[in-house]
Amino acid sequence: MKFLRLYITAVVSIFLFSCASNQTTRDISAYEVPVNDFSRTVELLIANEDFLETEIMRINALNPSVQRIILGADEFLKDKNYVKVNSELERALRLTKTEGALYLRIAHLRYKQGLLRESESFASRGLLLSNISSWERLLLNVYLKN
Amino acid sequence: MKFKLSISLFIGSFAVIIFIFSAALIAIIDYRVTAKLDGVLWTVPAKLYSRPLELAENIEINIDNLVRELEMLSYIEVSNPERSGQFSLSKDNLQIFLRGYKDQRSGIFNISLGNQKIKRITNQLGLSEDLIKLEPIVIGGMYPAHMEDRVLLDWPEVPQILIETILAVEDQNFFNHYGISLKSISRAFLTNIKAGEVEQGGSTITQQLAKSLFFTSEQTIKRKVMEAIASLLIEFHYSKEEILLAYINDVFLAQSGRRAIHGFGLGAHHFFGTSIKNLDTDQIALLVGMLKGPSLYNPRRNPKNATKRRNLVLSVLKRNFNISDAEYENLTIKQLGISAPNYRTETKYPAFHDLVRLELQENFNERDLRTKGLAIETNVDPILQDALEVAIVKTKNQLINKYGTKLNDLEGAAIAVDISNGEVKAVVGSTRPSSYGFNRSINAIRPIGSLVKPFIYLTALDQYKDYNLTTILDDSRLSLSSGGIIWEPDNFDKKFHGNIPLHVALWQSYNIASARLGLELGFRSVETMFSKLGIKKQFQDYPSLFIGSFELSPYQAIQAYQTIAADGFYTPLRSIREIKDIKGEIEFSYPYSIEQRIRPEPVALLKFAMQQTFERGTARGYPSKTIESWSAGGKTGTSDDQRDSWFVGFAGETLVLVWLGFDDNRQTPLTGRTGAFQVWKNFIDDINPVFKQKTSLPRINYVWTDMNDGLLSGKRCKNSLLVPFIKGTEPNITPTVRRKCSNRKETSDGGFLERLKEAFEGGQG
Repeated sequence: MKFLRLYITAVVSIFLFSCASNQTTRDISAYEVPVNDFSRTVELLIANEDFLETEIMRINALNPSVQRIILGADEFLKDKNYVKVNSELERALRLTKTEGALYLRIAHLRYKQGLLRESESFASRGLLLSNISSWERLLLNVYLKN
Repeated sequence: MKFKLSISLFIGSFAVIIFIFSAALIAIIDYRVTAKLDGVLWTVPAKLYSRPLELAENIEINIDNLVRELEMLSYIEVSNPERSGQFSLSKDNLQIFLRGYKDQRSGIFNISLGNQKIKRITNQLGLSEDLIKLEPIVIGGMYPAHMEDRVLLDWPEVPQILIETILAVEDQNFFNHYGISLKSISRAFLTNIKAGEVEQGGSTITQQLAKSLFFTSEQTIKRKVMEAIASLLIEFHYSKEEILLAYINDVFLAQSGRRAIHGFGLGAHHFFGTSIKNLDTDQIALLVGMLKGPSLYNPRRNPKNATKRRNLVLSVLKRNFNISDAEYENLTIKQLGISAPNYRTETKYPAFHDLVRLELQENFNERDLRTKGLAIETNVDPILQDALEVAIVKTKNQLINKYGTKLNDLEGAAIAVDISNGEVKAVVGSTRPSSYGFNRSINAIRPIGSLVKPFIYLTALDQYKDYNLTTILDDSRLSLSSGGIIWEPDNFDKKFHGNIPLHVALWQSYNIASARLGLELGFRSVETMFSKLGIKKQFQDYPSLFIGSFELSPYQAIQAYQTIAADGFYTPLRSIREIKDIKGEIEFSYPYSIEQRIRPEPVALLKFAMQQTFERGTARGYPSKTIESWSAGGKTGTSDDQRDSWFVGFAGETLVLVWLGFDDNRQTPLTGRTGAFQVWKNFIDDINPVFKQKTSLPRINYVWTDMNDGLLSGKRCKNSLLVPFIKGTEPNITPTVRRKCSNRKETSDGGFLERLKEAFEGGQG
């Protein structure tokens, strides 16, 4: 009996140890955001418009239908077809008003259109959403600094 | 010799005159032909469309409203949809055979429903389709004087079977003649003799086009000669393809009220509710068959004639090997499949049209609107529009039953807008909503009564260091003298209420407390708030303004309330989304624009007080759970001597404002609650708004306070209410008398023993 207990303890310990040793550290490079240097990332977001745009396009909507529209809008944004981007984002906003990804994009669009006050207002509106992530919150805050 | 010369001279002169006359005639006809067919081929009126309804997975939806919209679009409920324009509904499943609209293809789609949400959308193959679109409803057009209407088609949009059918029935020799064809005339004659009825016409397609474009239907030799000349000229100037396309777009198919339906593009919409590309062969055969006698073969008025004619056209197609024998057999037994007309009259929703016209005036001239074939995509939601029209009519009838025939000519106006994006969803300008005339929603400028009070209270709450919801206001007698005139405002109940917390003064709508608050704040700061809310009207420094002598139209008033309902974000209201040119490209858009005018926290406090209007004030009657889920709030308004009855309220994502009164400004027996609120209630109960997610405001803190003195209280204390405060502005005094009940831990809530103990001890009163 004593031997059996010892045996089970050894097996469980080996299993736990192997699980732990198999874990790899999360590859933050896949996200390309140097999270260990937070303030530098924020500076980069403010200073580098392309970097900001890339980050915004990575923010997905929670609703797959809205995400489908967003993907179309992002393509129009790449082509600088701002009228179509606006049309698509408004279309998505009619389906749901609680997607941070939408407010981010529309704030960015207004920024690109040179409508800085509107950009700020859309960002402020997005910040009132209760379901946005900290990263979305940070990105929205970038537009408050216009 | 001399005589002979004179005759020759006379004949020569006559010949020259005839030649000159003929040349001039040909030149005139030629000019008319090229002028008409070059450039803008036809005048195509601008059309107004409702918003198209998009359905997506995981979005909230009111199933009853969806079915209502399908019925408005002339979809027919069947047990098993087999044809476009049909749907079936079971407990938690909706199957629609979509007609198709722009990028939305036609086909059967299955929508799984549950818990007021769309769970899943799948296509015929069972594959997930996360987004589908219903076609919009045409709500009218900007028609020219001759009222010709059409939807222009270009070659890629014209189905092959339509071309084959037209050529088979109307002009089999089309590609081989020069506009006039003796062969066609003789062949048509023989065919018709053989068939025993008129299967084919003798005129070529070019002749028919010439006749339709330039001449009347009078049967004279002069007209026939002119028609023949015009046909030859058309053939001279244009290719066969251009002529055929012109014919397809020009033929007259039906009369709808004063509106003339021209071309197969509009014909498909008018009779089948969809684009020509979605029509089956039998439907195309019906449209082509109608050319011979648009009235005689009108499928709505004469379905038997139309069926017979359609089958005759199908037999021609079979004879020409365009369809097989089996196809012919199948097609001839099919129902006509005509949809109910989408067009109630030339124009639906006249009050909404007025608003659209106002917005269009700034960017388009009348001629362009009547000729350029613009597609105006409006924001009107046909379900909300119909519900608002029904609510105002129904309420008027209820009021007449209650107060008698003195309310027979009671008038009204109502507007519904989407809170977040400022889209105007519905407008009613009269208690006879389908009639044209004075549009009160835009043009009636009336005193807004207590609807002004939230603007004043918001001015105070925005100064959050000095005012919060429990700031004590003075509702005792007020007497002001100005220019020898003494002004003494009264409360509606003719009583004075002493010191009361600010939020109570608002939801109880006390006049004196409000007037004192306005005077304390000063005209300039209130004026600034009016401007922030989007009121562009000039401000006059009369104290009576603070209790409702300020005049606004319903449209101006709802603009101000939109800013409040949208948490301080001003969005210009808009009735139009986009305007597309005839090729479908965006020509002009009215983008969603917002501007944060007021911080969201003071607005949240105001919205709380407006919610109390529903909980315990002048709009009470709904269960707390419903009020909470809708995040509802509102305000009643009654002007002096009850000449105007107002209500404005938000529920879910919809903000609705209602006004009732007489055009001649005489007294009504109505208050805001007994009049306008009843319209609001009938409307909201009908549409049943979906749940609204609350905004996140970390700087707001809720504290139990007493409703009489505004000081700290507790959940267990009597007369207490959980009130929001901007952090740091909460009251900090708990009166001795409430120490005991307010100290009890909230976690003990609900315990039977706790409640028993409470009952024995007795709460503070």
